[in-house]
Amino acid sequence: MRFFHLPPQIFRLVILIFAIVVSYLVARTLLTPDSFRDTGFYRGAALAEHTEAHQPVFAGKKACGERHPKVIATLTKGGHKTLSCEGCHGVVSQEHLKDPDSKMIKPTEKVCLRCHEASPSRPAWFKQIIVKDHYSEKCIECHLPHEPNEVQ
Amino acid sequence: MLATFGGVFAGLLALPAARALKKKFRKSPAPNGYDARQHKWLMCIDVDKCIGCGLCADACKSENHVPEAPHFFRTWIERYIIKKPAPDSTAVRGEVEVDSPNGGRGGFPPTLVPRDEILKSFFVPKLCNLCEASPCTQVCPVGATFDTPDGAVLVDPTYCIGCGFCIQACPYGCRFLSPVTKTAEKCTLCYHRITRGLRPACVDICPTQARVFGDLKNPLENDPLQAFVQKNKVNTLKPHLGTNPRVLYANLDKEVR
Repeated sequence: MRFFHLPPQIFRLVILIFAIVVSYLVARTLLTPDSFRDTGFYRGAALAEHTEAHQPVFAGKKACGERHPKVIATLTKGGHKTLSCEGCHGVVSQEHLKDPDSKMIKPTEKVCLRCHEASPSRPAWFKQIIVKDHYSEKCIECHLPHEPNEVQ
Repeated sequence: MLATFGGVFAGLLALPAARALKKKFRKSPAPNGYDARQHKWLMCIDVDKCIGCGLCADACKSENHVPEAPHFFRTWIERYIIKKPAPDSTAVRGEVEVDSPNGGRGGFPPTLVPRDEILKSFFVPKLCNLCEASPCTQVCPVGATFDTPDGAVLVDPTYCIGCGFCIQACPYGCRFLSPVTKTAEKCTLCYHRITRGLRPACVDICPTQARVFGDLKNPLENDPLQAFVQKNKVNTLKPHLGTNPRVLYANLDKEVR
């Protein structure tokens, strides 16, 4: 290698650069998590962790329907068929699941008015009432929440 | 001397190459046997059906344990009130007032705009727009937020350093910094629910079915999402920004930002 002679300064620089590059490669290999780049530029294990870390809170209509099929059947016939049970009755609590006799929230008029109070922003096809012009302030005097098309 | 250096160098370069090869042949751990590559989730919104009851915003807060402090939302509702034009102007529509009191949680209080000044008013639910060219995943310096193979955009809380760059980058304002974990948080399409075969909490609770959710790769019989795209003319939010949002809005007014 007589013809190819690096000056000593350059040679030391090459050693230094080499050392830096090597230490970077080693660090990167050791520090990158195993599942990185599995499905993209992220830690692939995060997907599974996300599912395991969180449990669903709302039970859903199907779960209620398993124990209360008659109510769901009535509901499906009327205008409230798209409603979820937990929208009015609150989240199915752990107590209700353990002790089915413990009742869920009994909705008050506030719950009805939350959707049905008249507002210029609500679409015209949606049934709305102005409370003070309506027959009564107590909704269930005339209405059956599970069969809203029937009026007593 | 140079030869030994070259040898060591090549050997070290081989390490990441070997890892990459090993990865190709290793399957990702699937939660409950759920394979993210077999699904492509999408949520769409029918603006004409939203009655502004705020049940979705409340349900999301309960379902995802979003911090209670008022201004953190993974999904929220905005009310648009388009006023009548001033009597001496030739404009067809007047000013627009937008409000989102507490994100629409608990419903909206009556507006202070007098009834006879209102030309048109409606509610618009908003959420992560599931962009195809999402600016938020592009800017993350550590790779903590990403597009999942099945269409959601998630944040890896163990990786996020809380720099807030993604929060700044999202043009739809759907991200926030959680004061509890000090990491970025956003709508995950209720990932923990959809991987278990349930629907997102906001979709389940919506009383008028204004939120439509479905799997593009496995449409159901009478799939609501397929019916939605067949029946409606759709629009997206801020199309001029080039983010290619996947969330489609039916009956979207041009004043919606």
